[in-house]
Amino acid sequence: MRHEDYKEMLAANALSALDADESRALATHLEDCRDCLSELNEWQETVAFVALSTNPAEPSIQLRERILAAVRAAGSPSATYADSAAHRASSSSLVLPFEKRGKNVWTSLGSFGAIAAAFAMVAMLIGLLTLWQQNRSTRAELVRLATQMRETSEELAYERAMVALLTKPGSRMTELAGTNVAPGAHAMLAYDKTGHAMLMTRNLPAAPPGMAYQLWFIKDNQKMPGKVFTTDARGNGVLEDQIPASALATAVYAITLEPAGGVQVPTGAIYLVSAS
Amino acid sequence: MSLEVNPEQARASEVELLHAVARGDEAALARLYDQYRVILFGLLMRILGNREEAEDVLQDVFIQVWRRAADFDEKRGKPFTWLVTLARSRAIDRLRLLGARQRLADAAGKDQTEDVSDALADTIHSGQREIVQRALAELPEEQKQALVLAYYDGLTQSEIASQLGTPLGTIKTRMRSGMTKLRALLGTQLENFGYSGKA
Repeated sequence: MRHEDYKEMLAANALSALDADESRALATHLEDCRDCLSELNEWQETVAFVALSTNPAEPSIQLRERILAAVRAAGSPSATYADSAAHRASSSSLVLPFEKRGKNVWTSLGSFGAIAAAFAMVAMLIGLLTLWQQNRSTRAELVRLATQMRETSEELAYERAMVALLTKPGSRMTELAGTNVAPGAHAMLAYDKTGHAMLMTRNLPAAPPGMAYQLWFIKDNQKMPGKVFTTDARGNGVLEDQIPASALATAVYAITLEPAGGVQVPTGAIYLVSAS
Repeated sequence: MSLEVNPEQARASEVELLHAVARGDEAALARLYDQYRVILFGLLMRILGNREEAEDVLQDVFIQVWRRAADFDEKRGKPFTWLVTLARSRAIDRLRLLGARQRLADAAGKDQTEDVSDALADTIHSGQREIVQRALAELPEEQKQALVLAYYDGLTQSEIASQLGTPLGTIKTRMRSGMTKLRALLGTQLENFGYSGKA
């Protein structure tokens, strides 16, 4: 394909309207063509402007707090909260050195009220601290449960979509088994006769920072790159991709660990592979 | 209430906010959210047609902003473009994942955004909205149709060709011509709002 052919694709790419094959070819071209990359940025600006034509809408007021709580939870694990709360609680119990002061009886009697008030204040602060800590724990738990529910809901939606794909005439499903680097992992790849493919993985180890898993289509020892994906905390991942026409039905499918942006030639270990 | 600000200052401030988010500044993320929630949520509602899913995606978008603010490159575009691209991309992914195009196409309420008061709508990007709506209205109907099906329904060119019963080459031409005309129409007018030209 010529440079001019890729330029013709840029506006549609900014609209996410290219088919998977074209999109993949353009992505490869963009790695080396600054001219096209610059033009794509301009098209993306035009596409972004169109958002201004939609009527504004107000999300629920709770959403802001949900986002901030999720971000807070992501940046500060609950163990840190517990540790810091425990530290604050133990610090509070040490703030009572009143009897060390050398004062006469009347002064001391007069101070009893202040001491009692101080004790009451400390008790109240400890109570408030405990309530605050419980509130934070409850909120963190709510965020965790909400995240879990959202992930489960997304998984169910994806499974439904896979079932829908498999009910099309001519659809097939291939199982990928974990290799010796991930013996507990497995995956299912469903695809229809046009090559539209949906992958679902289980029990993959978390990819290290800057790395991601990449799908490969292998035909006659030629390794064709697919898209990259990451997994959730449980090692579950999903990916939609387009199997190249030349690899449809007779290819071997494999998943390797690669740099997060993906590569054109596999460099990492194979974690999952289908039967040849 | 007037929201007019110097475009260059506004852009610099948004870039600074993203840099602050990259450093882990939660308050900066909150300010970005306050600044963009209404326009992004309006876009997500238009694409997804479902309040719950739109909120879910908006939450994902801002968690992505938190995680990926360091990836933002001001030389390649503006924060506005980055945020809209991220939001639209997540919404289209969700739309495709759910296979919901047909359901959403049938949803009577897809074009409705009842969630914001007229007063608020009038003050937020109202000038810009009018410019973009006018530019879209100037496009030939068949070009506008191709753009709208891609933009809001997440359809690829092949899917649009199939849905309209039109040759793929014709759809590609319509889309490119429509985008070229739209860019020309918007280019000069949005400059005044700090949205146009290179960053």
